[in-house]
Amino acid sequence: MENLKLQSEKINTAVSTIIGLGGTGILQCVQCGACSAVCPGVRAGFPVLCRLLIRKILDGQLDEIIEDSSSWGCQACNRCTEVCPQGVRPQEVVFAFRRYQAGELAVSTSTTTSQMNMYEVGHAVFTDAQELRQQVGLPAKAPTSAYNETAQKEIQTLLNNSSMAELGLF
Amino acid sequence: MEKYGLYLGCNIPFKAPDIEQSFRKIFPALGVEVEDLEGASCCPAWGTAPSFDLDLWCAISGRNLSLAEDKSVDLMTGCNSCFGVLSEAKHFLHDGQRRKRVNEKLGVINRQYKGSSDVYHVAHVLHQKIGLEKIKEKLVYSLEGLKVTVQPGCHTLWPSDVYHVKEKNPFYPTMLKELTEALGASAPHYSRLEACCGMGGMRSTDVEKSLGLFKEKLLSIKEEIDPDLIVTTCSSCYLQFDMSQPQLRERGEIDFEIPVFYYTQVLALAMGFDPSQVASVSKTQRDGIIKEIQSEKRKTDKTQA
Repeated sequence: MENLKLQSEKINTAVSTIIGLGGTGILQCVQCGACSAVCPGVRAGFPVLCRLLIRKILDGQLDEIIEDSSSWGCQACNRCTEVCPQGVRPQEVVFAFRRYQAGELAVSTSTTTSQMNMYEVGHAVFTDAQELRQQVGLPAKAPTSAYNETAQKEIQTLLNNSSMAELGLF
Repeated sequence: MEKYGLYLGCNIPFKAPDIEQSFRKIFPALGVEVEDLEGASCCPAWGTAPSFDLDLWCAISGRNLSLAEDKSVDLMTGCNSCFGVLSEAKHFLHDGQRRKRVNEKLGVINRQYKGSSDVYHVAHVLHQKIGLEKIKEKLVYSLEGLKVTVQPGCHTLWPSDVYHVKEKNPFYPTMLKELTEALGASAPHYSRLEACCGMGGMRSTDVEKSLGLFKEKLLSIKEEIDPDLIVTTCSSCYLQFDMSQPQLRERGEIDFEIPVFYYTQVLALAMGFDPSQVASVSKTQRDGIIKEIQSEKRKTDKTQA
């Protein structure tokens, strides 16, 4: 009896965590697997995405899968959302789980450079392409935040006033 | 003249500026003015704010959208990911409480998200606003007889309920096919038309899984169409096709390379623009097909664009 009670607390915590982070449709899932059938991540071999990820969350297994990198292999393509007959919007569950991982710094190592770039120049992907741009007849500096200090300050203010600021990524 | 705010994103201005230049050449020639959105940032890409904080995602997207709102124009982007991220942010911002929270964040930097500008993809403006007939009128070279594989990419297709412009059937997209056929080329169907190319979060998380998916798609293209070129309207797909073919070839996993272009690059070539400006940054070899496209025998009776 005590075991069952513990498990139900674990399940409630997992579900409310994911709902709070944006996976609001999770309780409508009936485990039909339509999402996994169309998911490029599942096809490529990431083990814990879509149907199985939802199953594990509904079983209260958040801690057990926190180090699994599958969610970071999600392409954010939303094929799952398109085909889900229950309106779960599975991609939002995958991203909510990512946010749970990120909050515990269980992030893919590939993500850290993007966060630094974003903070410094407002672009996740950035190389100083001034020469290349001139070669094709464009002004050396793109008219974006990359060369615009006011814009950079605005982005930095938004980042500093968010939950990301506490993670020490920038 | 119809006007759009040109939202560049990251990949196009810093990795493939010849694509940006192709936008700047073709749109005015087709009667559409493009206005820069000065100070625009990353949309933010899926691996950044969207993976950490939903309201922060909406705030950064909201800031970018406000740049178009301030100019009273709709926003146009050539990057599928940016199109997806910005469209989804707009969808999330329909929630009144979220919009209030996000506008409080934006208030700190003296900005506001109003929701008055729509988000278009370059392909949408070409297909729905300019139209195939107008494009045909401007062609200096015809692509007749050339076989093209089209790669529409993911983020203009799903989830269709958040997009301002939709395909009739997102699992059987036709806009890019029709845009390509308007150039005179054939664009046959193939079984993995809507399959993912493997770029994006997948590539940065596990490059072997990404290349596996890519190779599956590429072999299907080779076997079913064996095209003269591949044309896409997704800058991420463009980069994947351009960098991964030489990689697979070097490993001995494939023994061919198919030239790949962003759609507006081919359109610009067909309109007579200078290849050194609109199609000169690539890893796959494209000189042969560029010369073929702009060859004397392909000239239509139109004067130079």
